[in-house]
Amino acid sequence: MRALSLPSGILVQLARFSGALRGLGIQVGLSDAIDAATALTLVDLLDREEVRQGLRISLKVPPDAWPAFDRLFEQYWGGVAAAPPLAPHAQNPPRHRRAALQWRWDGQRVRLVAGDDSGTRAGEQTPGYTSEALLRRKPFEQFSPADTVRMERLLARLAMRLAAHKKRRLVPARARGLVDLRRSFRHALASEGELVRLARRERAVEQTRVVILCDTSGSMDIYTRFLLMFAFALRRALKRAEVFAFNTELVRITHLIAPSRIDQTLKELAASVPDWSGGTRIGWCLSAFLAQWQAQLLDRKTSVVLISDGLDLGDPAQLAAALRALRERCRSIVWLNPLLGDPRYQPIAAGMQAALPLVDYFGPAHNLETLEQSLRRVK
Amino acid sequence: MKEEIRGTQAAMERFGYIAEPAIATAVYLATQMRKPLLIEGEAGVGKTEIAKVLAQALDTELIRLQCYEGLDTNTALYEWNYQRQLLRLRMAEHEGHESKQLEDLIFGREYLLERPLLKAITRSAGPPVLLIDEVDRADEGFEAFLLELLSDFQVTIPELGTIRAAHVPYVVLTSNRTREIGDALRRRCLYAFVEHPGLEKELRIIHSKVPAASEQLAATIARFVQRLRQRDLRKLPGVAETLDWTQALVRLHQDQLDAEVVRNTLGCLLKDELDLRATDQAALAELLAHASTG
Repeated sequence: MRALSLPSGILVQLARFSGALRGLGIQVGLSDAIDAATALTLVDLLDREEVRQGLRISLKVPPDAWPAFDRLFEQYWGGVAAAPPLAPHAQNPPRHRRAALQWRWDGQRVRLVAGDDSGTRAGEQTPGYTSEALLRRKPFEQFSPADTVRMERLLARLAMRLAAHKKRRLVPARARGLVDLRRSFRHALASEGELVRLARRERAVEQTRVVILCDTSGSMDIYTRFLLMFAFALRRALKRAEVFAFNTELVRITHLIAPSRIDQTLKELAASVPDWSGGTRIGWCLSAFLAQWQAQLLDRKTSVVLISDGLDLGDPAQLAAALRALRERCRSIVWLNPLLGDPRYQPIAAGMQAALPLVDYFGPAHNLETLEQSLRRVK
Repeated sequence: MKEEIRGTQAAMERFGYIAEPAIATAVYLATQMRKPLLIEGEAGVGKTEIAKVLAQALDTELIRLQCYEGLDTNTALYEWNYQRQLLRLRMAEHEGHESKQLEDLIFGREYLLERPLLKAITRSAGPPVLLIDEVDRADEGFEAFLLELLSDFQVTIPELGTIRAAHVPYVVLTSNRTREIGDALRRRCLYAFVEHPGLEKELRIIHSKVPAASEQLAATIARFVQRLRQRDLRKLPGVAETLDWTQALVRLHQDQLDAEVVRNTLGCLLKDELDLRATDQAALAELLAHASTG
């Protein structure tokens, strides 16, 4: 081992440094540390900048972790005064959801409540009939009962399309598709090189695996119904969709999804979900989800869809930690936020701020069109 | 800086790649530790170029595998030349071979089409540089396959047996970060991230790649592009775009930038309709003012 030629003091320092990086959530394994030790034998140890580069390269530090890496590097390899302790959320925006709501969303709430008779434009609200195109662009909060029924049908179609997403990879097929010469020829060997039957391949239908976590807190009230409806449709189309509801507690509702009427299910839901339409503790619920369900439900083929407005009662640091852990275990995290549909909305709530850098796609979901667009990202 | 790393930097520069110390260090470490080098960065910052220059500097062959969704072993590793095999079988019918003999015949090396990965392994004249380009576009299954190949550098072909690497190739993987590369693959590589170049570096790149551009034009272009990258654009112009633009301006015999020429040639830099529309008269005037004053 070349690394053994290093002074032992440096190796110990490297081990400590790797541990500290892990503490910051930067994944550093033993093999990385060995790579780093080898790299240190190859760089000029007196050139700090070169040591820093060498460690970054050999420990495979992604660019978004560079600031944290550099801070730690100053501490461990500096000989310079230690950097000030980390303060990830120095000035927390107001913690209380009520305060946050009133501060930013007071007017919005009033409009939402009175949405049915004031917030509609002429021509869009002919009772009983809405064209599909209009329906797609209509905000969820302006729906009439008749729309809801049609909506249910549209959602089911969308869910079916998602479910049947074809991959580009080719797999053996029975009767149609491209000719697979490799296999055809193998078969032909059995009949002395006579090509009796052509083997074929076609594009694989790979079912998207999805875990949906839907916020059912008070601030999401108007959207919950539609988003849950969509979750249900998806669940019906995809065998491998799991649905959870959360607010201050996390409840698995996959089994509640009945093929019949949504109202019935919603009633059952309300009974089984504590604090329905209350506050949210997103971080806490995500941690609970990870602790209990991660092994069964998550792998690199599963996408996690979080539907929430990010108005969190809990600790943003906990949310960030949970998202980081989640991110390592799933294919992608898609965060759908119905509030994004409002042009005045800025994701400045503390929870949203903590979550944004850790989410693969952050998109709106206030009407069917945007929901559809956002869900293209779930692949 | 260590002598050897400076040497790497100089060698890369000799073949037209202006490397920052970070990149030179990464290339040096990868060649010394014989580990694959994973290079990430936005499109157009010159990731692929690193592999090309490395091959030139090592005076060896560059073998390139372009990844895409649906890439499978048939196109990446090997394929039998079925047409030839069939013809040979037909001919053999009249020759009266024994079946075992016949099998050996048609599953011989000359009926094997070597795709990039196999080619990289079997090259007999010294280790080549194997460039696996845009690995983020291939699907995850392929990544797992790569993992196996990159750790053992051997391939098993059922009809032929196991083929071991004659020389372990220098491997460079690039990714545009359209999706996260799996952790296992990342761990197996060394990692470098290429950013858009700073003013000085970009200027040197222009000089080295488009020597026909005058001193003044190159400086103005570099400043213009640097400023342009600070704007809120959907697709930032990369070095490749800067060079295209410089070429275009040289062809148009421009010695300096003016509003009209810039507007007419902006398509070289901005390749998104919204970006083009967002960069209006006023914005161009500001950019030009900045570029010409320095």
